[in-house]
This record gives sequence, C-alpha cells and structure tokens, in this order.
Amino acid sequence: MPLKIVVGIKWVPNTTSVSIDEKTGTLIREGVPSVVNPHDLIAVEAALKLKDRYGGHVTAISMAPPQAILGLEHVIGMGVDEGILISDRAFAGADTLATSYTLAKAIEKIGDYDLVIMGHETIDSSTAHIGAQVASWLDIPYIYYAVNLEYIEDKHLLRVRRILEDSIEIYNLRLPGLVSIAMHSDVPRRVSLTNKLRARIEKPIRVWSNKELDLDPNCIGLRGSPTVVAKVEFMPKVPRKQEVYKDGDPKEAAKWLVERLVKEGLLKIPGGE
Amino acid sequence: MRRAICRDWDEINPEDYKGIWVYMQVDEDAINEASLQLLGVAREIADKLNSHVSGVLIGSDVRALANEPIYYGADKVYLVENKAYSTYYPRLYGSVIVELARKYKPLSILVGGTMKGRELAPYIANTLRTGITADCTSFDADPETRDIVLIRPPFGAWMLAHIKNRDRRPIMGSVRPNVFPMPPRDTSRKGEIIIEDILVDIDPGVELVEKIPIEKKEELPIEKAEIIVSGGKGLGTREGFRSLEELADLIGGVVAGSRKAVDAGWIPHEKQVGQTGKSVKPELYIAVAISGAAQHVFGIREAKRVVAINIDPEAPIFDNADYGVVGDYKEIIPAIIEEIKRIRKRV
Repeated sequence: MPLKIVVGIKWVPNTTSVSIDEKTGTLIREGVPSVVNPHDLIAVEAALKLKDRYGGHVTAISMAPPQAILGLEHVIGMGVDEGILISDRAFAGADTLATSYTLAKAIEKIGDYDLVIMGHETIDSSTAHIGAQVASWLDIPYIYYAVNLEYIEDKHLLRVRRILEDSIEIYNLRLPGLVSIAMHSDVPRRVSLTNKLRARIEKPIRVWSNKELDLDPNCIGLRGSPTVVAKVEFMPKVPRKQEVYKDGDPKEAAKWLVERLVKEGLLKIPGGE
Repeated sequence: MRRAICRDWDEINPEDYKGIWVYMQVDEDAINEASLQLLGVAREIADKLNSHVSGVLIGSDVRALANEPIYYGADKVYLVENKAYSTYYPRLYGSVIVELARKYKPLSILVGGTMKGRELAPYIANTLRTGITADCTSFDADPETRDIVLIRPPFGAWMLAHIKNRDRRPIMGSVRPNVFPMPPRDTSRKGEIIIEDILVDIDPGVELVEKIPIEKKEELPIEKAEIIVSGGKGLGTREGFRSLEELADLIGGVVAGSRKAVDAGWIPHEKQVGQTGKSVKPELYIAVAISGAAQHVFGIREAKRVVAINIDPEAPIFDNADYGVVGDYKEIIPAIIEEIKRIRKRV
C-alpha cells in the first residue's frame, strides 16, 4: 500500500545571512532572503526516501505569506508531488497553538493521510512545538527525533529509529501517525530541473485561505493565540576589557596572555596565584 | 469582559488555578537533573505568589523516588504508579498529566527541556488548550494578578521577550538543562505524597521495540564547564580542533564550537555555543578563529572572561573580548601551550 505523506515546511528568514544591529539589538531584516527551514528540508528528504522505497504521494504544506510559494516550488523541485499554501491575513500573529490548529485543520481537509512528517525545529524560533501540537489536534500517535524510517507494510506500521541523549531507541509507530526528523540526520537532495519545471508548468500548488478552511476566527491568528509578548527588554552589551595584543610574535603574545590569565587566577598553575 | 474563545477550548476560570508543578522525568532509576533544577526556580515563583510547588512523578516502579522532589524543594508530590506506565510514551504520559491537571488545576506546569521533555510538553499544553513558551531563561511572578511571566530570548536579537498567557491556564514553559543551578538536597524537608490512580484510556500508538544505551564518555556538558576552548570556521579543518583539545586538556577545560564549526560537521551540535546552540557561563572562554557574530557573542554573555584569538584584527570578537591576540591560531595555540608548560615546570 503506497504511503500518503504530508510534510510540513516553514518559510523562514535565512538566519545564516542575518546580522544584528549593534545599536538596537534587533534583527536586520532588509535584504535577507527567506528560505525553507533547513531542518524541514531533511523532513522532506525523509518523506521522499519513503516514497522512493515504498511508493506513495507526498504533499507539502506551509502556513505563510504568499511569497512562500517559492518554498513549495523548491520542495516540489526535490520531488514532492504537490503543495498547499495556507495563507490568509486571518492566520497572522499566531502562536504555536493557533498555528498548529490551522495546520491540523488543513491536514484534516487533505483527509486521506498515513503519515505527517515535521522538521526537528525551525531556525527562527526553535520551539519544536508544532509536531506534538499537531499530533494532539489530530489525536494521532507521534514520536520526535527520528533518524531512520522503515515502513512495515503488512502491519501498516512505521519503524522509527531515534537517538536521545543517552540511548538509541527503536519504535513501532502505528499509522496514521506523526514523526519529526532529527536535525543533521541526512542531507536533502538537490532540486531537479525537470521537477522544478513541472512545478512551473503544472502548478501543483493550491492556496487555501480561511475561505477554504472555514475556521472560527477565535481559534486562529492572534485571537486564537493564548500567549502574547507583553514586553521586550533590551539587553545591554556586556562590557569587556578589549585589550588586544597585535605584535605578531606568537611567543611574546602567548607570554602576554598567559601572564594575564594567571594573574586573574583563571589558569591553575601550581604555586601560582 | 472575558474575550470570546475558540470553540475547541473549554471555558476555564483562571482564578481556580493554583500551585507550580514540575514534571519529574525519570531516566532508568533516577530523576533527570533538568527536572530537579527546575524545582529551585519553581520554589522562587511559588514563594513570590505565596503558593506551593509540586513534583509530578509517573512510572511503574518509582515510589522509591517520591521523596526526592521534596528534598529538592517541593511541597507535594503527585505519584502516579501503574504497570501501564513502565515505558515513557509521549502521548501516554502526556495524557496522564493532562488528567491530573484537569483534576487539580495547577497555575503553572514547568518541564525540563531535555529531548523527551521538549517532545512531551507541547502535547500537554495543546491538549489542555493552553499556551506554552519554550526555552525560558527566567521567570517573573506578580502576586497581585497571580500571573507568571515567562522570559526567553527571541531569535536573532539581544532582547528578552516577556511572554504572558492571557487567559488560559495552566501557564506552561520548558527550560533547557543547566540554565538554573541545582537546588540543595535537604533530606530533612518534609512534604506530602499524593497517590493518584489515574488510568488513561488512550493507546500510546507507539511501542518501544529496542533500547540501546549509548556508552558515553563522562564528559562535562559545556553549560557546566568553568573553562571552554571554542573553535570557529577560521580553524579551516576538523583537525584544527586537535590543538584546541590539547589546550583544553592542559587547563582543565572542555572544547566547544561556533555554529559554523557545527555546520561544517567538525563538532557535534550539543557543543554549539550561541543563540541557536547553548548559552555558557564559564570563568574563562577562549574563542579561537571565531569571528564573533552577535548570535555567538549572545551565548557567552555570562562568561566571566573572554579571550579571542583571530587572524583578522577587524574581527568583531575583539570588541567582545577581554584579552585578544591577533595571529594565526596554528602558531598562537602551541605557543600558549608551551608557555603554560614552561610556567608549570618552573614552580
């Protein structure tokens, strides 16, 4: 039985090229391109590996402003079959509860699925909430941090291998279920031109606004979010001595540095200070 | 007037919710340190609110541990013991805590941000239709409004976001291990153990087939280290870390790295310092070939002394260091090692 997989992706500012305004302490967003959250690309890779091996259909979903269609085109370029962009001003300002609600309702609308795959966490907020929350809304079993997935077809189970701080664990997950994929556990495949061209020509991307999802405005966006940012407090820069040795002779430099560290009691020298 | 709420949420009265709960994660036959550390900060919050602290302990054979949360600062322990709970499954344990919370209505539930804790906590919050804040670094409590503010650094900024849970309870938060110190263990402390026979009617949907312990070197986590020698992209190769390890061994430190060193695969993610890694608070932090992006400097804001070694005199790390040496680490690090050995021999 081929697997019907839904994979969640988030459109995030590319934090590797983000810098911080030294004066205000805020993110400089101008000119920062957005990308698909890199940890989600590994989730897409996991979905495509299952599809390659067992056959199936992969749908990517993303809740984001319209520009995120580029992100869905990217994963379709990797081999994802179709994309759904959940996009509406009514969804804006959502915390993880309201976001997961919207995603779960979209997955219910897709209806026929065996497996939901999420990334480990996002690089822009790194809460790792959404997987467990979506599983809670959908009332399906879930497990985080998978590094390897195998489908046991006759029992309709997913065998999940994961690595925790102090153990390697192997689970059987009943389907339909949800897994999140451990960061750095794989390398996402490249976008193929043929697939990308297909994305442009066939346009296998649907956009769902709240017209399509028809969710209670009290459950979504800012109104559906119990948590609010009450205040933002600026953290002052930590004052440092800023003494720099520039002479260039390594021996002298080492002497200069070690002398200071010993004097401050930062290096344990027997009989020293 | 109370605002209209989502039709999928139960109506609640926030005033009914009292007490601070901390989930006690059990690993094999001991309570995880991250859970015990949270009892200290839970105690502080509860004292401000004139409230109490409870530990929540779930398992099949955990009675012997039931006094531990009390020794570390809890007033009460909710003990849920049943053969059905011999193995942790997120949906199973999550449902038990949800049932307990529906019955006793805690003001707040805090969960240690271990891998399992980060998997479990959002399920509990969501099933209770309440909000949750990940990776809190401090808390504030207002005795007037009996409100708890969860404080966390938002990504990509030198700022702290104060997050409130408007009208939903319990207020939930997770806290990474070693953010708070371990409270003292006082075996003379007394408290109440409440035995709960909650049997949840839920199929965990997962089955643990095999568990293989990882033989770990007894390594100090970087958050606990007093001396850290940290390497960045400028090392050029994984081999560059060898001289850093040599220096760390010599001075009783541990090795860590910047995000770029982790992305390059030279050092594991658990040793990453910075905003997307860990915040550290050593006495001495030696940044080698790390340019010093604001995200990295954020992670060392609590270091007592920062040393920077970098070939680029313009690298921002020098503005954020106490002592800087401009030069090639391939020459500077061996020279430092030699110098330390020379002094040690002399005395």
